[in-house]
Amino acid sequence: MFLCLTVIGLLSGISLALVYQKANPRILYNKEQELKAAIFVVLPEAKDYVLLEKGEGEEHIVIYKGVGDAGEPVGIAFKANGVGYAGNIGLMVGLNMDYLTLSGIRILDQLETPGLGNRIKEPEFEGQFVGIDIKPRIEYIKNRKPDKPNQIQAITGATISSDAVVKNINNAVVKVLKAFSREEVTSAVAPEKSEPAAPTEAK
Amino acid sequence: MADDTQDNKTPQDTPKSTPESSVEKKVTTPTPDSAPEKPAPKAVAKPKPPAKPKAPAEPPVAPSADKLVVSSSPHFLNDESIPKIMHNVVLALVPAMAASVYYYGLRAVLLLVVCLVTCLVTEHLFLMARKRPTKIYDGSAAITGILLGLMLPPGFSIFGAILGSFFAVAVGKQLFGGLGYNIFNPALLGRAFLMATYPVMSTSWMEPRTVQAAVDAVSAATPLALLKFEGEFSPVLNMFTGNVAGSMGETSVIAILIGGLFLRYKGYINWKLPLGYLGTIAMFSGIFWLIDPSKYANPLFHLCAGGAMLGAWFMVTDMVTSPTTPKGQWIFVVCAGILAVVIRLFGGLPEGVMYSILFMNAFVPLINRHTRPKIFGTMKRNSH
Amino acid sequence: MATHNSLGHEFKKGLWADIHPFRVLLGLCPALAVTNSFVNGLAMGLAALFVMVSANVIVSVFRKLIVSEVRIPAYVVIISSLVTITDLFLAAMFPAISKALGPYIPLIIVNCMILGRVEAFAAKNPVLPTVMDSLGIGVGFTISLCIMGGLREVLGFGSIMGFQVLGSWFEPWIIMILPAGAFLVLGGLIALVNYINDKKAAKAS
Repeated sequence: MFLCLTVIGLLSGISLALVYQKANPRILYNKEQELKAAIFVVLPEAKDYVLLEKGEGEEHIVIYKGVGDAGEPVGIAFKANGVGYAGNIGLMVGLNMDYLTLSGIRILDQLETPGLGNRIKEPEFEGQFVGIDIKPRIEYIKNRKPDKPNQIQAITGATISSDAVVKNINNAVVKVLKAFSREEVTSAVAPEKSEPAAPTEAK
Repeated sequence: MADDTQDNKTPQDTPKSTPESSVEKKVTTPTPDSAPEKPAPKAVAKPKPPAKPKAPAEPPVAPSADKLVVSSSPHFLNDESIPKIMHNVVLALVPAMAASVYYYGLRAVLLLVVCLVTCLVTEHLFLMARKRPTKIYDGSAAITGILLGLMLPPGFSIFGAILGSFFAVAVGKQLFGGLGYNIFNPALLGRAFLMATYPVMSTSWMEPRTVQAAVDAVSAATPLALLKFEGEFSPVLNMFTGNVAGSMGETSVIAILIGGLFLRYKGYINWKLPLGYLGTIAMFSGIFWLIDPSKYANPLFHLCAGGAMLGAWFMVTDMVTSPTTPKGQWIFVVCAGILAVVIRLFGGLPEGVMYSILFMNAFVPLINRHTRPKIFGTMKRNSH
Repeated sequence: MATHNSLGHEFKKGLWADIHPFRVLLGLCPALAVTNSFVNGLAMGLAALFVMVSANVIVSVFRKLIVSEVRIPAYVVIISSLVTITDLFLAAMFPAISKALGPYIPLIIVNCMILGRVEAFAAKNPVLPTVMDSLGIGVGFTISLCIMGGLREVLGFGSIMGFQVLGSWFEPWIIMILPAGAFLVLGGLIALVNYINDKKAAKAS
């Protein structure tokens, strides 16, 4: 009886280990590709990125510094997570190097109502955030065109989802600005510049 | 109104007494085995005496009505027939229909007719398929159609209205076995289906003709949506007459009241249901209003806003989908009223009347079971 | 049981008489949860088909060696290993599908359809009939999920496999992509299957 279970367990363990060995690099690769794609969308001028992180545990913040052709910093990207209407909304936010305007956002994960809340994924909505002022904070208005540089128009009928996106971005921006000063990010590029070939190694 | 406040005390007692009645129900089917157990359940029920001093407030309502109630619905004590009642309900809806036509013009006529015809046709087809005699003239399908039409936004598409009416009668009523067997109010179920199917169209309203004047169908927010998303209070007087954006027949409080009072005058609806529902909404929202009047609207606003009036007079009172016992009716309306306010104040949606009634509809069989009137002979013997 | 049945019969019964989601009402969790588009339904169906066939074959081959007191744990270990392999494979090769199906691939482990077939058929039958049986049930399951996914996608998005098939006149029925739509479609299909069977039975008698 025990022999039987032991053998079965052993065999399945071995086969799983083999498959995992083959599959894991690919899974990691896929994840990185996804991340890269998102970063390059929110930082359109970036050709490569540098990973910067700070803090431990709850305070742990990761940002990705986008670098242009000549290795000059073009902006930073970071993730913003928060609760939406039906579940977590995760996005990638791109901030220009002037630390004043957004260069773009990209919704990564969301479970909002199809055809309504999930229209936050559409380019018409995401596109509104390009060039938007982050100071004093991003706001949304309803049913009419925005008239201030820090405003976007909420999706009709999906105020809660729109509100969640705006809130997530504001919260993340505040956190990131507190953790990483502009000078720090700009200068952080110097040691990295020498080895742009291995961007993920950067700490 | 003094009447109202007094009666609102009774529901607070009722939940307490439910365990008692459920215990006693077990006892009413005595088998040799359960006989020795009787003392034990009684011991559980014994702590009740403290409640008894309060009880005198309850009897005036309960026992006199209890005697008349039988356990299935609908039941009538006179020569009223289903068609006659239903036709009078249709008549009672005429003011609301007139108001919707006044405020939204031909569009309202079109939508109402489409809903009405689709419901009748669906009912007819299903009865034919089930090889039952055609009863579409009994008016119940007509009521479903009219109510659904009144709950639609004026800009709703014709195809959407047909789909919703079909769903209301086919799934909401006929699949359960036809009139009298449906668990949920068919019109509300149709509306909920449309809400999930066309979330954008179901929540885009337009200003009534009287407001928008020259401008073409402008999209507008309902008073409840204005309050929820913009923190803006609408004048209650406009809401009373219906001069605000909203579902076609839900906005005009005065028109619905006329119809509702007509039904009450005819004796078709039990005053407990609409007044209990509205009273609960008023009291519960009033609590929050007293706490912070700048953030929460006053009770009058909540009574006049959204579907509260239409729901209270024409859907809570649905004979098929509301409890049959007086105690059960109190439980039903109080819970539904609290739910409606909770959704309005704290939920993601601006309006909660529809879901509050549908949600409580699901509990009606349970409520009926647990509030069955006492069988006096057996009860007395056991309780002494 | 059923050893005298032809192999063809073992296969065919899974396609209609014992089609799992609609007749036996097993495997409903994936049938309801992931069928919001044709591709998702197909992917889930194929994943379950793979696990189904391989688990049944393995159990059938070793049926004499598995001690009957611990057979259920043994089956669960075998099935869960296969499911994990499937999950890793999808995550590595088809990240988009893996993301769309989310936790429902790992949940195949507790799908009663597979454990039920293993216990009821593979544990008592030689390899060849087992292959046919599990293939039949698995294919039937895949077809059911494709039908549900296709219907929900057409009504909910107006498209099939991502191609817009219904014109712009069609306002999509959002409810069909929501969980409520899964129940409506499943209920409708069960009613349809029962109706056809009733008609058949009436004709036969």
